[in-house]
Amino acid sequence: MSLVDDLRSALSHDRVLEEPLELHLYSKDASMMRGEATCVVLTETTDEVAAVVRIAEDHRVPIVARGAGTGLTAGASPTEGGIVLSTTLMNDIEIDVDNRTAWVGAGVINLDLSTYAEPYGLHFAPDPSSQSVCTIGGNVANNSGGAHCLAEGATTSHVLGLEVVLAGGEVVVLGGEAPDSPGLDIKGIIVGSEGTLGIVTSALVRLLPLDPDVRTLLIDFETMEEATQTVSDMIAAGFVPAALEIMDQKMMVAVENWLHAGFPTDAAAMLLAEVVGETEAVTAEAALISEMAYKNNARGVELAEDEAHRAKLWKGRKSAFGALAQISPDYYLHDTVVPRSRLVETMDEVQQIADRYGLDVYNVFHAGDGNLHPLISFDASEEGMLDKVQRAGEEMVAACLRNGGALSGEHGIGLEKRDMMRASFTELDLDAQARLKEAFDPEGLFNPAKILPEGSRCFDFGGTRRPIPEGAWV
Amino acid sequence: MTHPGDIMRLEAEIAGVPADVLAVAPSTNDEVASVLRYASDSNKVVDVLGGGTHHGYGSPRQPEIVLSMGRFDQTEAWNPEDLTVVVGGGMPIERLEGMLAERSQTAVLPEVPGSSTVGGAISAGMSSLRRGRLYGTRERVLEVTLVTGDGRVVRAGGRVVKNVTGYDLPRLVVGAFGSLGVITSICLKLWPVPPAAMTVIVDDVSAADVVSRPLAVLESDDRKAVFIWGTESEVEAVSGRLRGEEIPGLDWPVDPAGSLRWSLRVPPANTSEAIAKLPGGWRYLAVHGVGDIRLASDSRQGAGALRSWAEGIGGRLVVTESPPASLPDFDPWGEPPPAIELQRRVIAQFDPRRIINPGRLAGGL
Repeated sequence: MSLVDDLRSALSHDRVLEEPLELHLYSKDASMMRGEATCVVLTETTDEVAAVVRIAEDHRVPIVARGAGTGLTAGASPTEGGIVLSTTLMNDIEIDVDNRTAWVGAGVINLDLSTYAEPYGLHFAPDPSSQSVCTIGGNVANNSGGAHCLAEGATTSHVLGLEVVLAGGEVVVLGGEAPDSPGLDIKGIIVGSEGTLGIVTSALVRLLPLDPDVRTLLIDFETMEEATQTVSDMIAAGFVPAALEIMDQKMMVAVENWLHAGFPTDAAAMLLAEVVGETEAVTAEAALISEMAYKNNARGVELAEDEAHRAKLWKGRKSAFGALAQISPDYYLHDTVVPRSRLVETMDEVQQIADRYGLDVYNVFHAGDGNLHPLISFDASEEGMLDKVQRAGEEMVAACLRNGGALSGEHGIGLEKRDMMRASFTELDLDAQARLKEAFDPEGLFNPAKILPEGSRCFDFGGTRRPIPEGAWV
Repeated sequence: MTHPGDIMRLEAEIAGVPADVLAVAPSTNDEVASVLRYASDSNKVVDVLGGGTHHGYGSPRQPEIVLSMGRFDQTEAWNPEDLTVVVGGGMPIERLEGMLAERSQTAVLPEVPGSSTVGGAISAGMSSLRRGRLYGTRERVLEVTLVTGDGRVVRAGGRVVKNVTGYDLPRLVVGAFGSLGVITSICLKLWPVPPAAMTVIVDDVSAADVVSRPLAVLESDDRKAVFIWGTESEVEAVSGRLRGEEIPGLDWPVDPAGSLRWSLRVPPANTSEAIAKLPGGWRYLAVHGVGDIRLASDSRQGAGALRSWAEGIGGRLVVTESPPASLPDFDPWGEPPPAIELQRRVIAQFDPRRIINPGRLAGGL
């Protein structure tokens, strides 16, 4: 039987898609790289996922898991063909209030989980900007962060267990509510592995209690340097708030045109700072933030008056990338991370690179973590533009690495940064990672060609991986 | 016994190591690599020695080589303004935390470590008593350098606090008991220590419900205490709400002592029930909100029933220290963990001859 016939007999006719338009819709994530799947399957149960994995192995075709497709590095783009497995129909939530945990289907939307948990006085800490659409499965695959992982850590710190379909269709449940599961932390290595080691069908996540009190401050500066210096000063002084986000003027203008969040568009940069906890703590900490901001020549500090005001500020922050649609047809968002003491210098270098290429760069980033998101706006229909944008982007990443940084803070490597891995790691380092992949996926069918550059396995002369295909960039 | 010259040069005197066991104390990655390559080539079991405080786990095989990490005790880089530190695997926790305290920082490693080293605590997966608020040791490890069983020097992760560049090997080595390699260098994420702290003795752990996310709620045989830290005003206000005897600072208890020591791990909501189920005479220190209960006893009586109960609710009863041959027919880890064959395949990629600490991991790995 053909691949599609096999899949249809394992699932149902209507949950195996193969029409050209359907395939096109699933041909890329939110990155700029496109692939082409043979078919798309919409699984509803773990057993179905296991069956799809076995069928993929029988037909020796790749299998690419996908949540909402908000990834930015082509992690969910089927660039090697094969099956795209969408988890969006796997969206059960089972909450355990006493243990402050929940088993959550891979297709559950991040924000839906927190909304569901709110009546119990709980929430899920990782809050990527795409949280109103991205899925838990995608968060697990990318070890997603977000504004509030500064104090609470990224997704991996909140995943206590996983149900995973491994090679051969084997279903395992790893971890649990009890701490320190014996043996190797297989669950931990699957988090952030971008669907290359197996397919996560469900996650046991930690839920945190809602904070008794919160203070959100909007601080505006006449220079970007003063804003970043304020953040560096806070961390250096041993003060880690719940969130520390910076946005530059150009980005504020774009957001204001659309959402009217109340951002100071005449300022060069704004710092959105938040502290949570006991009332006595947040009162004192908000005062400390103001003091440090004024020491760095802040023009003004505005305290969110109520929950509605706070929500508006955060909506403005989290919708920033969407606001770019009014500026240019395309944007290329980078994600790198530098030591927090190197923020000022790195931001400066990024701007210089953009100037040299004559490109518009917008900045909105998780300053407290040193996690930069320079965003280049452009029109891909302009001759030679995409190439220019790519080269500038690569220089920006290189500048971050020179400042002691890493390739990606929260978006992942996927296909986009795969070939830059050699700038961060030695051949032996990459070989060790390739061996890990091999232990999980000897046939190389789980999301092939992602994370590791071709030939990462030392002495791997005839591997099945190919260079990034011509035309993958859209 | 004869050994190649470059190995003999690394020979060192290590207290307690029998004469027929080769004791070495390398000081560089290359030296560790040459020892491990030699051990792999000649199939010799290597015991990696830090502070020797976590040597009671699992069913270790008799070592032919003891590799001391004593010379990997340096601070390679400390960037207080970035809240990161890079240390050698043999760095004693107490010395590191003492140094960090001078700048009001902590690596959130175990509070009463004895002679434990950073590499040892990571390998054994030991966490701080503050883990309910500040998370466990796995959340602190940003970068590791490993020397694999076949002598490759491998680095993974990075010296930044947020990083998804490649597979998360730094977290995989936590609790791996050296099965992926000898940890020679570690970059840790630090946390600021706020200006004020208080230990409040309470009658019942439910008293802590008036505090949002306390630093720790600990219960031992003779004491229940809530640990608070933060700004002066916060600590004063919160301590007042708890209405118990106040001890300024963080008055950490020590793990209970006994000839047999255990780690009981249960879902957090079962912590009080677990304490009620302990056999008579067993001493305990429980971390509420986490389900991490450290136990000591002088006999194994009741251990089987306790383990059955724990495993029935998704927990574990693990032997962490026992006199030789005192627990025949009692697996130190209990039922084997899931995906054991996958674990074996992963380990084989790093320590193909399985020479580093074999038998310590659960499932006899």
